Amino acid sequence: MGERVWLYANYHCNLACTYCLTDSGPSSPRRSLSSAAMVTVARQAAELGFGALGVTGGEPFLRPDLPGTLAAMAAVLPTVVLSNATQFTGARLERLRPLADLDVAVQVSLDRVEPTANDELRARGNHAQVVDAIPRLVEMGIRVRIGSTLDPDAGIDDEEKARLCELHRRLGVSDEDHVVRPVVRRGRAAAAEMGVRTTVADLPPELTITADGAFWSPFGPTVRDGRLDTDLLVTRTTDPLSTPAAALARLVEASPPGGDARLGIR
Amino acid sequence: MPPPHPAPESPHAPLVPLMGAEQAPLLARPYFAGGDPGPITAALAHVPEMLEVTAAFLGAVLGPSGIDVRTKEIVILRTSARASCRYCVEAHTVAARDAGLSVHEVRSLRGETGAASPFTDRRELAAIAWCDALVATGSVEAEAKSQISAAFADHEVVELTLLVTTTLLLNRFCTALDLPTSPGVLARLTAEGLR
Repeated sequence: MGERVWLYANYHCNLACTYCLTDSGPSSPRRSLSSAAMVTVARQAAELGFGALGVTGGEPFLRPDLPGTLAAMAAVLPTVVLSNATQFTGARLERLRPLADLDVAVQVSLDRVEPTANDELRARGNHAQVVDAIPRLVEMGIRVRIGSTLDPDAGIDDEEKARLCELHRRLGVSDEDHVVRPVVRRGRAAAAEMGVRTTVADLPPELTITADGAFWSPFGPTVRDGRLDTDLLVTRTTDPLSTPAAALARLVEASPPGGDARLGIR
Repeated sequence: MPPPHPAPESPHAPLVPLMGAEQAPLLARPYFAGGDPGPITAALAHVPEMLEVTAAFLGAVLGPSGIDVRTKEIVILRTSARASCRYCVEAHTVAARDAGLSVHEVRSLRGETGAASPFTDRRELAAIAWCDALVATGSVEAEAKSQISAAFADHEVVELTLLVTTTLLLNRFCTALDLPTSPGVLARLTAEGLR
């Protein structure tokens, strides 16, 4: 079982990316975990021996309480938070400053090196927002990772991947902090027939907590046409965290080794 | 052999969607491996950690045990009829017939015959009276207690009481969720004139 526990902070998002696992958009039901619940998960995860936390959504930074929640979580375990980097300007950016002193990494999505290609997947102007926001985060002393989700049918060649890497280095993000993964055919990507097909054996088990229950991995609580997928649901119980953790451990013991190496899903 | 009539569809729509194999959560998947697991399991699959323990519990209480299957089906059908659980009465009418009960006995347990009970065995009569006493609200009548204790050993009284109360749990669960009776059960009921 993976050492990281993931939390879905919320499901709503100001963008509506074409391949979104959770079918998120501005009008998606929020289905938020409360700040208190997130910190409780963090504390219980540490007690159970997990070594790291991940926060995803939706766009977590649409929640005004997120910086404070992240600070409380990072006081317990190293935390990475996924973001579309659209909220990092002005006063909202300033509110992130305390995170510079904590073990928090902000993983920003940037899928294509060319603005047009990137923005077709994500939103008009998103490439520019990301390229603008990352150096400011880096300058504040916040660790930034870049997550690139690649459509395997988009014809992205090695030359383009190399240019993407040149871009993230220019932005101050190291190779170690560049995460590349394929679009997974679940959620909105499944509706659009994009991405790689997966089974549970392809997805590394990483305990994932949502307002709807605990799942096998962050690729589990997907939404298609407004309906939550339950095929990778582990338990509805999330507190105590030992309940889903024990159930997931049992499932892992009974399942064949994951094919993470084959699909590169992480 | 195929049923003599086309399998009828239940007119009842459940309160929650019944989980299909495709959306079955990981802990629930084994229950779907052999095909449709039935509406109780398909409903419980929404909460997989509860399905695991509930299925094991129900299997232990309602399944083969120290009390013979005929007596158990008498208890389940009688309790379900008294508790007015449509789903359980229909499902366990078929189970009771499979356990060897006659159509007359089934009708009697379901409260459909006004004439004399076809049951004469002292233990079966005590078990039926015990069901009636436990389904009724309030305290359990002293006469029913005397009757069950005279007919059954202590451990059997405990098990029968557990069987009645577990059936009541199921009765309310199935009634609240308005679970649809399986087409196969409806076909059997129709074929035997027991719908």
